[in-house]
Amino acid sequence: MKRIKHPVSGMMTGLVLAFMFLPVVMVFVNAFNADQELVRWGGFTTQWFSNVLNDSRMREDFKASLTIALITTILSLALAVSAALWFRQASPGRRSLFDLTTIMRLVLPEVVIAVGLFVLFLRLGVTLGTWTIIIGHTVFLSAYATVVLQARVASMGNTLEAAAYDLGATPFRTFVRVTLPQLAPAIAVAGLLVFSFSLDDVITSQFLGGGQVETLPVLLLGLIRHHVTPEVNAVGSVLILLTLITFFAAIAVAGLRNVGGLNQADGKEL
Amino acid sequence: MTALMSDASAQLADDVVPEHTTRAARARSLLALPSVLWWILFFVVPLGILVVYSFGQLDIITFKMSFGWTFDNYPRIKDPLYLNAIVRSLLLAGGATVGTFVLGFPVAYFISRQRGRAQQLLIVAILVPFWVSFVIRTYAWINVLDENGPLASGLRRIGLLHGSLGLAYTDKAVLIGMIATYLPLMILPLFVALERIDDSLIHAASDLGADGRRTMMRVVLPLARPGIASGCLLVGVPAMGEYVIPSILSGGKVLMLGNVIGDQFLTVGDYPFGAALATSFMLALTVFLVIARMRGQGKEDIL
Repeated sequence: MKRIKHPVSGMMTGLVLAFMFLPVVMVFVNAFNADQELVRWGGFTTQWFSNVLNDSRMREDFKASLTIALITTILSLALAVSAALWFRQASPGRRSLFDLTTIMRLVLPEVVIAVGLFVLFLRLGVTLGTWTIIIGHTVFLSAYATVVLQARVASMGNTLEAAAYDLGATPFRTFVRVTLPQLAPAIAVAGLLVFSFSLDDVITSQFLGGGQVETLPVLLLGLIRHHVTPEVNAVGSVLILLTLITFFAAIAVAGLRNVGGLNQADGKEL
Repeated sequence: MTALMSDASAQLADDVVPEHTTRAARARSLLALPSVLWWILFFVVPLGILVVYSFGQLDIITFKMSFGWTFDNYPRIKDPLYLNAIVRSLLLAGGATVGTFVLGFPVAYFISRQRGRAQQLLIVAILVPFWVSFVIRTYAWINVLDENGPLASGLRRIGLLHGSLGLAYTDKAVLIGMIATYLPLMILPLFVALERIDDSLIHAASDLGADGRRTMMRVVLPLARPGIASGCLLVGVPAMGEYVIPSILSGGKVLMLGNVIGDQFLTVGDYPFGAALATSFMLALTVFLVIARMRGQGKEDIL
């Protein structure tokens, strides 16, 4: 059979990729650009990196971001794994009811739920800070984790567990030795997804941090709003490298299709 | 809730697992509880409070809330300032949806016709920018679109641009930023739909005398419809409530609905009006999604 060539779409793909990567490349280049205004190449420097390292506010905020991302990941995974285990034995009607609660959290723009939680905590007299940010992140990030885990559960079947029961394993032993290992790749992907999205979040962190706790993206947004500072590029390159490592770790652990979310979209295992 | 769960466990005991695990099954039926509780406490309740607030009143002098069940907050949305933000959000979200589709479709099609490693590499390339810090990625466009930035100087060098580029800090800059940000969300569902189309269908069309354009319009596009629908939804809905991109790329000049809502709580302090804006937004979104779902063939086609 003759092979179809796709010159036009191939060229478009190249252009679109250039369009998507241009800003990322700019960040890396400008991180080493000695020109204060960043309008032209002013020579190579690592000054912005040392500025960042010596900035105690940046270090503090980075620590806050990491703490929040870590706890959010643990909470989201606990909710999602538990829900996924329920999901496989629930009737179709209840499944689609539950799906509705997940979809609502995925489609509602983040600003709306952030202001809602802001008013709720205000009303309850809860001081805004690390924990309120964590609660806010978990509301929508656990939905992402649930989608990833449900896709895995849907393709799992329960013959292995039935076999374990028949061979006399207790429910707990079956869960630890049979169910959990099957879920592991999906848990890893969901965890990395939640972690990097939490680390990256601005809106919820800004509304629910209440000025007491500031995450790195919120600090960066503030810096950007005021003036173009070269340090932002240095922090940016570090963050980019960090998320890229996470991304490739996810691919290594679980394979490309799980990371891209292509599995659940396809509805079958590939 | 409990009745609902125990019912599920009863059914489970009947047909899935041997009967000696009934107790475990009952315990298992409670596993949805943490998620559901979290959803009620931190999703339903706060949104409910927003709705209640939207009918409240704010004392301008003491800044105290009172709940008089007034409708006064809603007509204020008609104020040109807010109406402009809503219209602009609609236009920008529509523009971003069309823009990502026009740019994303050829890419998704091309990737779907590749095999093996080439295909995997291309998908990685599409996904990588999506994982790169969102604030930083958006901020980078300020430098790219700057009057002295690489785009302007590049265009000047090849003689396509005289004078100024006029993109920095405008709503065009916001649109460019949104298209760049949302592209992967359009490309991936399109790719999934296009990949399912067998090459032989395209061959058949050309064997029967259809040219490339006709094959695209009559064979490929109709088969890709579910992917197109979910791509448009994944881009259009979040784009409508966009908050960060306009505040970075317009220097705070281009206000979208998300910014107007956020400002009522962060800077203005008019909670009832902010709540009224948020409630109207939720309502419009719900109506839109219900219509989209009724018109689509089924849930899995849309989301």
